[in-house]
Amino acid sequence: MPASLNKTALRGDLQVWSWNIAAKALMGLIPEFNRRYPNVHVKVDMNGTNMQSRLLLSLSAGVGAPDVSQLQLTDAQRYIATGRLADLTLVAAEYERMFPASRWKNCARNGRVYAIPWDIGPCAVYYKRAIFRKYGIDPERIETWDDFIAAGKTIVERSHGQTKMFAMGAGTTASQPLTSMLEILLQQAGGQIFDDQGRVAIDSPASYQALGVIKRMLDAGICRNVPWWSQEWMAGLKDDSIATYPLAVWFGATIKDTVKDFAGEKPEWGVFRLPALEKGGLRNSNLGGSVLVIPAQCRQKEAAWAFIEYALCTRESQVAQFRHMDLFPAFLPALNDPYFDEPVPFFEGQKTNRLFATDVARVPALNRTEDWSETQRYLDQSLSSWSAGDRRSDGFFSALARKLQRKLGRPIVSTRNVTGQHGNYGRIGP
Amino acid sequence: MIARQASYASNIKRNASRAALYVALAVAAVLFLFPFYWLAVSAFKSQGEIFSVPPRWTPWPLRTENVVMAFRETNIARAFFNSTVIAVSHVAVTLFLCSLAGYAFAKFPRAPGSRQLFAFVLGTMMIPSAVTLIPNFVVFANLRLIDTYWAMIIPGAASAFGIFWMRQYLGSNLPNDLIHAARIDGCSEFGIYWRIALPVARPALAALGIMTSIGAWNNLMWAFVALRTKEMQTLPVVIYLLQGETRTPYGMLMACGLIATLPLVIAFLLFQKHFVQGITSGAIKA
Amino acid sequence: MPGNVTNPAARQGDNLIQDLHRNRHFYLFISPFFILFAVFGLYPLLFSFYLSFTRWDGLTPRAWVGMDNFALMLDDEVLAASLWNTLIIGLLYIPVMLFLAFVFANILHLRWLRLRALFRTAVFIPCVTPMVVIALVFGLIFSSEKGVLNFLLAQLGKYVPALDFGPVQWLTSEQWSKVSVALLVLWRWTGYNMVLMLAGLQGIPDEYFEAATTEGASALQRIRHITIPLMRPTFLFCAILSLLGTIYMFDEVFVMTRGGPGLSSTNFGLYLFNKSFVDFRFGYASCMAYSVAAGVFLITLMAQRFNRTDTE
Repeated sequence: MPASLNKTALRGDLQVWSWNIAAKALMGLIPEFNRRYPNVHVKVDMNGTNMQSRLLLSLSAGVGAPDVSQLQLTDAQRYIATGRLADLTLVAAEYERMFPASRWKNCARNGRVYAIPWDIGPCAVYYKRAIFRKYGIDPERIETWDDFIAAGKTIVERSHGQTKMFAMGAGTTASQPLTSMLEILLQQAGGQIFDDQGRVAIDSPASYQALGVIKRMLDAGICRNVPWWSQEWMAGLKDDSIATYPLAVWFGATIKDTVKDFAGEKPEWGVFRLPALEKGGLRNSNLGGSVLVIPAQCRQKEAAWAFIEYALCTRESQVAQFRHMDLFPAFLPALNDPYFDEPVPFFEGQKTNRLFATDVARVPALNRTEDWSETQRYLDQSLSSWSAGDRRSDGFFSALARKLQRKLGRPIVSTRNVTGQHGNYGRIGP
Repeated sequence: MIARQASYASNIKRNASRAALYVALAVAAVLFLFPFYWLAVSAFKSQGEIFSVPPRWTPWPLRTENVVMAFRETNIARAFFNSTVIAVSHVAVTLFLCSLAGYAFAKFPRAPGSRQLFAFVLGTMMIPSAVTLIPNFVVFANLRLIDTYWAMIIPGAASAFGIFWMRQYLGSNLPNDLIHAARIDGCSEFGIYWRIALPVARPALAALGIMTSIGAWNNLMWAFVALRTKEMQTLPVVIYLLQGETRTPYGMLMACGLIATLPLVIAFLLFQKHFVQGITSGAIKA
Repeated sequence: MPGNVTNPAARQGDNLIQDLHRNRHFYLFISPFFILFAVFGLYPLLFSFYLSFTRWDGLTPRAWVGMDNFALMLDDEVLAASLWNTLIIGLLYIPVMLFLAFVFANILHLRWLRLRALFRTAVFIPCVTPMVVIALVFGLIFSSEKGVLNFLLAQLGKYVPALDFGPVQWLTSEQWSKVSVALLVLWRWTGYNMVLMLAGLQGIPDEYFEAATTEGASALQRIRHITIPLMRPTFLFCAILSLLGTIYMFDEVFVMTRGGPGLSSTNFGLYLFNKSFVDFRFGYASCMAYSVAAGVFLITLMAQRFNRTDTE
């Protein structure tokens, strides 16, 4: 792939697979892209139905994959492991330092790069200003998760149980909030589910620290027991049943969307930084994010790369996607854009963009293995029965580690080993 | 006199119970046909009308934009063509292979191993396709036949049931004398099959053909696996993929559904007799 | 003596080679089946048996894992749940469906009935429609807030307050999703079973009924003492077909409920597909497919055995 191609000489008809808001963001880039590459036609196929299955089948059969595809960052390793993605190492090398090292690691395997990070999911807490005012809670004083739980208790108490602090479905099969919350906390604690070599590393003090927070939340009775994305959960955006949504930056688009359904006055939303595990600890984390890849069977790799390069490795397109679709750039130079210091009218003039961006580079990424989606299911199951039962934490992660070992065929690494080799634990925090 | 009164009373009773039966049957028929009606009506409604409460029971005013949109915004036309090519070819190949083998099993009973081979053919019916799904994907991928019509035409074409079905029919409907006479006239063995056995087997072929086409036309799982590009997709796959994650264009979806449903329903109404016959004789094997 | 059609000379008892040669057209005519079966039936069968002992995703190198896959199956909660769901869905609809099919078959078998063809068509026609389309239509009908079914139930509830229990979450609750699938399957396959039973009815000689009628047996008595005993093989056949259908059912759940909410409507067929072509665990999926097929085979065998000793 020669980098110095004449831009008008480059021709192609690209088919891109993407979904939902991300697909719309890509479509929005096409006019500007075509000003640079007039002869590369891009068609975004916006269909997430069973995409993992369809893409893997096409990679496997060697026919039918798109020229460019979006993947969940968490699933990237799954596809990279197939060996059926184009090796981007040469062309991508110049951009390596412009992305968070932790994200870049999720896109590489054995020192070769196969994907480019697109957006990331820095986390904070969305809250309803009116509720906080009503019950006398100052969001600025919530610095740790224990502060968060205490504030939650106050709200539940003063509202006589009408308003819960946040929603975390537990004890049903719809337990994915528990897994997501564990992921958020695990990154703050510097823990891992798998180590660098893909061994099971979840049985560690960091995991217990994260689980401890979840246990305190559940025991305090501040959670509404509904699954994320359920009707009740979405309804909570409009009524007073849920006070906060501790979530990633992309959730802003959903909140803005529901506001359209309101007949009356626009509710006042605010954002405060994610609570830390301890005072002075890391007040950010990551949930979600995606990447773009080129399947090896693509016949127009130059054109495909030109599109990825324009979409993900330029400041203007990354900022545009954030501005319009809340896709937070993984491309670090974009964070210097003045847009990040602009007040956001929707959040009552709060500078929420900078808030989300703070400490983004400090968030350690979880190592992802090719069997992540399966792993997630086992986490869901274990956490679900744990939360429905007596929530005894001791031995929880050693049992889970053994289960992952059995199901995934991966060895367990002893926690001492991980800490000794990589010194990951306690790196963040006081 | 009394006897006549009694028979009159029993007549009334009989007529009443018959009327009740007709009413019950009519209700059942309405229940069975309602989803078709709902499909057809929804195809001509807007998204809002589809989800209106109380429901709109009739499609008036008739909106044709769903059908127009289906042809403009999806590859439904191409899919219709693909489905037709696949169903017709699959049926043709199936009928040829099954009648050929069925004829052989019916009319060469003395060939060494004939009985054992036939038992083997019947035995293959016990293999659930779920077991061979993955290997078949691998085989077709290795043969570079994924995303071709062949991937849809070949599997199931050598149907054990089809062979059984043709053998039963030819065994009892094709007189041996006819074959003898042809052979004396110097007709080749294939010629006998082609010119004498096939015409006799026409009703059996029709039944088998219709049964086979239902499966070929409606197949979703294997088509989802084996057809990889938009150009090759069949109707069920296109319709399945039209469902969005967040918002599904139901009107258009129903229009596509109607397009996919009508051909077989029409074929069924035309060939009804063969249809039921075919399945009935399928039951005999049990 | 009914001579061999192939060649009268066969009577003379030549050796096997000549016999084979004489019947070469027989082998030629049946060879396509055996060739296709070898490539797309036998080879896959053996290959998938081999895969049961491996870990493979179809893309990266295979690894031999011995009996590991079988051991994994024993503590696979999802497999257990999918088999349980299969059983529940089957119990929800199979008895009802067989009963309805039998009733319809008996009614539509009546000679004096007018519009017989029309009624038969109405009951049977669901079988010829593409499942994917019908699953979507049922999705609309079952919609909890905007569906026709809940609308009608609400109307009914106005007159019969006892039936008014609010909108049923047909597809969005774990309790009801199985019922919705069962209703869809019931609608789709009752006609098919009715035709099978009609075939069974036609196999019963008319003299039996005539004899019973002259002895003064009522219609219900005739059904109880003649039809039902003689139709036992048909019932068994229908039951086994339905059992297989429920285990390997795919389109219905793949399209209408996607196996959810949670795992509540995931049957074995859908789980097998997900393991195969979503997780790409080819080895484990083959192992499951084989084990369940073997189990089903045993159950079928036992059912037939049971049926036979019962009638003897």
